Amino acid sequence: MQVPPYAGRMSEAAIDTRDLRKTYRGRAVVDGLTLSVPRGEVFGFLGPNGAGKSTTVKMLLGLVHPSGGEVRVLGGHPQDPAVRARLGFLPEQFRFQTWMTGQEFLEFHGRLAGLSAAERRTRIPAVLDEVGLGGRGHETLGGYSKGMLQRAGLAGAILARPALVFLDEPTSALDPIGRIEVREIIERLRAQGTAVFLNSHLLSEVEQVCDRVAFVKRGRVLTQGSMRELMGGVLPVDLRVNTLAGGLLDTLARLGEVRRSDTNTPGRADVELWLTRDDQIPAVADAVHAAGARLYALTPRRPDLETMFLDLIEDTPEAARSGAEVRHA
Amino acid sequence: MRNVLLIAELSLREATRKRLVSVLLVLSALFLGFFLFGVYRLELTLDQRAIDAGLDGRSPTGAANLPVMFSALFGMYLVYFLGSLMGVLSTVGAVSGDIENGVMQSVIARPVSRAQLVAGRWLGFTAVNVAYVALLAAGLLGGVRLITGYTPPEALPAVALLLLAVTVLTSLTVLGSTLFTTLANGIGVFVLYGVGFTGGILSAIGTLADTPTLTTLGRVANAVMPTNALWLGASYHLQPEIMRQVGEVSRGANPFTSSVPVDPLLVLWAAILAGLGLAGAMWRFSRRDL
Repeated sequence: MQVPPYAGRMSEAAIDTRDLRKTYRGRAVVDGLTLSVPRGEVFGFLGPNGAGKSTTVKMLLGLVHPSGGEVRVLGGHPQDPAVRARLGFLPEQFRFQTWMTGQEFLEFHGRLAGLSAAERRTRIPAVLDEVGLGGRGHETLGGYSKGMLQRAGLAGAILARPALVFLDEPTSALDPIGRIEVREIIERLRAQGTAVFLNSHLLSEVEQVCDRVAFVKRGRVLTQGSMRELMGGVLPVDLRVNTLAGGLLDTLARLGEVRRSDTNTPGRADVELWLTRDDQIPAVADAVHAAGARLYALTPRRPDLETMFLDLIEDTPEAARSGAEVRHA
Repeated sequence: MRNVLLIAELSLREATRKRLVSVLLVLSALFLGFFLFGVYRLELTLDQRAIDAGLDGRSPTGAANLPVMFSALFGMYLVYFLGSLMGVLSTVGAVSGDIENGVMQSVIARPVSRAQLVAGRWLGFTAVNVAYVALLAAGLLGGVRLITGYTPPEALPAVALLLLAVTVLTSLTVLGSTLFTTLANGIGVFVLYGVGFTGGILSAIGTLADTPTLTTLGRVANAVMPTNALWLGASYHLQPEIMRQVGEVSRGANPFTSSVPVDPLLVLWAAILAGLGLAGAMWRFSRRDL
């Protein structure tokens, strides 16, 4: 194993960007992105389609040149090959030389990464086993299924024992068992002190493995922090009553934030209400009784990433409506 | 340098594995066999005529042997043409192909500089293309010699000029594949090849008709794309004195061969252009987003 070139500066963050920008023909895809990823943590990078996630990953890997701002990866610049020697990358579009066998593919990437012949001899069978491709290394990549190709790409990403691994949608082609295996690989990487930058749409997956997350929209970070920090503060409650008559909806809007209301079924009204404290739940029941409505369900939910994601990212119909009212006022 | 050689090795293995090399070898063997069979039949006919005329054999450098000389010369033109075609087609996606099919991302994320990657691709493809032209030329000239006993007067400098031409073409194709998509690059390089050929035609007509403007236009085209001028230079070396005299009598009214040697400055410029193509490709690819 070669000496890590930045071993002396382990205190520095794995990724540090300040006001990172990328414009394509005058349109800002990444627009002042400031991000900090500590070493040895699993970091979830979340956002809707077109938020600039992939462009950000490409800038962090030196594939795309930033239009402005600063970027530091493992204490150096990603344009520096010595920095890239310590990175692993599984691209979203995992396409590799189809004429190579799995073994040759890893051999080639091992040589590019500067692994010695002896290291490659032990490391390649080890990573093939780790991603579940043990014994399949002699087949050409052209004959691999999509899931196998993604596993081969993952093997390539972790081959050179990187200090930081970028996984762009690493389970998009995998079945549920494959997803669990990838989660285990990510947890093993964390146990070895490797930082993982996870770009994924599968919020449940991110929720299970990530120490920290950042939400991006239109090329900017909306919020970032540890899961615990971000999850506090919101308590979603599902409410079912027979009617919203008697100004009940207005009363509820004073107690918390009405995210959604559905009165399409006659004799039934569903409301999703976001509270901030537990002790507001009885107050909701009181309000229902006071309005003369009948209560069928009042269910607090555990806050999850999906709730947060929708809160931060999506303009829900309810939010758009209240936004319009504000503008009218 | 280690990375450059690694990428070059990869390109060579890719060419072998994708059956590029085997298809080329088989088709080239077919081409050579077909052509040399024609030369063989020609030789038999010429011998028979000499016997019929009561002559005691033919002089290999005399006018009676002109058909054989022409077969060797135009056989080499085919070598130049096939070599150019193969050089462009094999190299057209050297960089753009890997970008388009997504292979490039995982390679460039490794500690290899983009200039190294382009240099490695160039080295690999130049090796394949140069070896191909050298092999084809050796096969053709060797075959003609075996059958007829005739070898063009200065075969080695002629082949060297052809190898330079295919190197220039490979460099420009690699440059194009860092600038354009594979398809656009293929079209562009063929247009350039056509520009070179146009240069030869304009020069020939300009000389024949004594029109300086045409000659100047031809010179411009040759500077932009010197491959055809290199072929014409090679053709000079491939002709014995008697053929050159025929060429001079016709005042160069033949755009395929030349009765004057190539300008050494043009050879130098072609070598510089090959270097510039490679340097431009390395520079351009280093600045490009993927």
